[in-house]
Amino acid sequence: MAEQFYTVASDSETTGDDKAQQSFPDVAIGIDIGTSRCSVAIWNGHQVELLKNTRSQKGMRSYVMFKDDTLSAGVTGGATKEHAHEERDILSGSAIFNMKRLIGRMDTDEVVQASKTLPFLVQTLGIGVRPFIAALVNNMWRSTTPEEVLAIFLLELKALVEMHLKHPVRNAVLTIPVAFSRFQQTRIERACAMAGLHVLRLMPEPTAVALLYAQQQQQLMQDNMGSGIEKIALIFNIGAGYCDVAVSATAGGVSQIRALAGCTVGGEDILQNVMRHLLPDYDSLCDNAGPTTDRIKSMGLLRMATQDAIHKLASQESTEINADLGNGLKVSKLLSRAEFEQVNQAIFEKCERIIKQCLSDAKLTPEDINDVILVGGCSRIPKIRSLVLGLCKKGDSYGSIDDLEAAVSGAALEGAIASGVTDPSGSLDLLTIQATPMNLGIRADGDGFAAIIPRNTAVPARRDMLFTTTQDNQAEALIAVYEGEGEQAEENHLLGYFKITGIPPAPKGAVEISVCMDIDAGNVLRVFAGVVKPQGEATPPFMEVRMPTLDDGHGWCGQALAKMYGSKLDLAVLPKKLHP
Amino acid sequence: MAGFFSTCAASDHYCLQLRSGSAHHELIRPNKYRRTMIRCCSTAKGKTRRDYYQVLGVATHSTPQEIKEAYRKLQKQHHPDIAGDKGHDHALLLNEAYEVLMRSSSRKADGFGKSRGGFGSGYTGDGYSSWNGPIRSQALFVDENKCIGCRECVHHAGETFAMDDVLGSAHVEVQFGDVEQQIQVAVESCPVNCIHWVGSEELPVLEFMARPQPKEGHGVFGGGWERPKDVFAAARNFSRKLEKQERQESSRGANGGEDMEAETAAQAEARRHAGQELRWKSLFDVWNGLGDWRKSGTDR
Repeated sequence: MAEQFYTVASDSETTGDDKAQQSFPDVAIGIDIGTSRCSVAIWNGHQVELLKNTRSQKGMRSYVMFKDDTLSAGVTGGATKEHAHEERDILSGSAIFNMKRLIGRMDTDEVVQASKTLPFLVQTLGIGVRPFIAALVNNMWRSTTPEEVLAIFLLELKALVEMHLKHPVRNAVLTIPVAFSRFQQTRIERACAMAGLHVLRLMPEPTAVALLYAQQQQQLMQDNMGSGIEKIALIFNIGAGYCDVAVSATAGGVSQIRALAGCTVGGEDILQNVMRHLLPDYDSLCDNAGPTTDRIKSMGLLRMATQDAIHKLASQESTEINADLGNGLKVSKLLSRAEFEQVNQAIFEKCERIIKQCLSDAKLTPEDINDVILVGGCSRIPKIRSLVLGLCKKGDSYGSIDDLEAAVSGAALEGAIASGVTDPSGSLDLLTIQATPMNLGIRADGDGFAAIIPRNTAVPARRDMLFTTTQDNQAEALIAVYEGEGEQAEENHLLGYFKITGIPPAPKGAVEISVCMDIDAGNVLRVFAGVVKPQGEATPPFMEVRMPTLDDGHGWCGQALAKMYGSKLDLAVLPKKLHP
Repeated sequence: MAGFFSTCAASDHYCLQLRSGSAHHELIRPNKYRRTMIRCCSTAKGKTRRDYYQVLGVATHSTPQEIKEAYRKLQKQHHPDIAGDKGHDHALLLNEAYEVLMRSSSRKADGFGKSRGGFGSGYTGDGYSSWNGPIRSQALFVDENKCIGCRECVHHAGETFAMDDVLGSAHVEVQFGDVEQQIQVAVESCPVNCIHWVGSEELPVLEFMARPQPKEGHGVFGGGWERPKDVFAAARNFSRKLEKQERQESSRGANGGEDMEAETAAQAEARRHAGQELRWKSLFDVWNGLGDWRKSGTDR
């Protein structure tokens, strides 16, 4: 990889020899960067503590405000009450938010296309390159990138923690959506590196919640002297940008992730659906000729009114929306809950689909589930609650978890565990065994995708597969590594590629090439490949490649590789000879 | 298992050192990545189920519950989150063992387990020898009936062959444990030519047959353990038998569902009744006996 994320020099400090020290100061902090809200938590020696900012908020709005020469993020939110940023300021075009939806995405991505209605500039060319993002400063668009915005935000978070702890912090555990590709994960790591943070672990959000649940279950067990019965929990997390499900089996403080599933729907989509419903010519308002100052203003007003209405609909059957959007545009409507649910039907169906998929992947039926845990801001929507509980055939959800603070608390727990902290009272006697959220494999048999590590494999994982040449005397073979659920390589994310050269001349199908994939607990993927038959002096040394090697997420690379080399460097899956 | 990836990585390493000195190699492989010396790549195929039970430290007849508990306990010691990077390989092995064993035990629980009594029971389809590196089409097999226990092969290729002092014969411990040349020398050195190259697909059966088998007992006669005289013939017979069984099972599987449903309500009732009678009979007997006794008592 081109960028060096880590200061490698002292990386080994956090592992191995320094383990035993109780007072080891470099305990990783837990950070939950949400699409709309962020929070940070630390292990303070005996429990997890959520930090509050100067305005004593635990959940801080995720945005970065661009002013003349100053940048300020939502952590401090304008520092004092008098200068506090109002929602109106945030929506004025000079603040960038929703970076978690934009980070590491190409401009052909539908999530990026949907983000064009945001009150700052998201310019797309629609050819599969990074979108251009800019904030309005003094009536001028100033460019930035999602990574930069995130880094500024993280920097403020880090300052907040350091102020609280009175010593520098370096390591962090961040939560990410299940649907994040490995490329997006590298972007998060990049943003952290820009903010001077080393990513110890990236945890899918529901697995962080699962860890917190494991801790609670263990404490419960200690209190009642219960036996270590295995408990199955389904965790459903829906925030502003993403929706994830995990099924975990918990016993004795070990949370074993049985299955993961996620998709990119969330509160933002719900919000946009409702705005579109309220204002039928909404698209023409925001799409034509990009945002201008008064358009941004009316969009901001509409957004605020809609948000408010959605919040009210969680407790009321209907609500009235009255908003003057300026320019003679007015919205006044009575929105009922039924209408709201009708408008967002597609989103609820998507949630339903991933829950069903997750359950079938875990090979469990709703009857097997002991607890349903609902977390995330949008889990308060009555329809979503009833949908999840209905699918799991449960009367009520698990109550002793805070729906907004669970993920960050879990991340802080994992941070303490992975930093080697032990707790005499046993409240850190925990472990999370993660699973891979997506299939990992290589392109083979033409455009096919051969999955080497299937999804929901326990991490750390190592699998290998044998491949063979497709041409006589083929001297080189291309290993193109993909990640995703598609049967065809092109439907998946390309992570990287490399060539195996110097294959000894042999008729096609005679050579055996082994490709081995290894994921360690830090979720680093390494691919090993080389010729295993015939062996001898003439065979080239093996290759070890750390993935992803790609520097940008656009899909051109895969197409270019296919066009350039076609079947010349193709590999075929070698059928297994033995069936143990 | 000294493996295939380690040798490769090591040779790669060596080249680097030669070319640019050890300083460079330190740079290339900083301390953190020392475990990139991956020891063995294809662990999955080389192990027998017995090895996995050993990894988890549970008995071969353990229930899924016991396997789960052992797995969690060991993961809590060896997972890299707790043990640091050095726990990587161990955690990998645990994950693998857990997956294989849970798969097989859930299969058993589902009632798909094949129980073969008598001769040939206990065949798992896995070989006893492990593989160094990936599975190849050819494998080594020692005909232990012919082996005279001369230790020549162990001497020439000690990583591959091992001596069983109890049985007094050599066997293959690790397939391709040594370089091919050494193995070839070892094969040729055998004075009775009892080391054979066989197809890998025949290997599990051959290795299974080569082990002493429990003999089918008839009354007080027979029983005990024996090893087939001609392993190759026995293996052929056994695989034919396996095939036949599998065919039968698949055909039974195809119309098995109908067979199950063919039981009528009356039959089910009868079965239930019979079961109940069996269970309560002894009690009835006691009751009746009591009655008799009482009766006789009053008579007296």
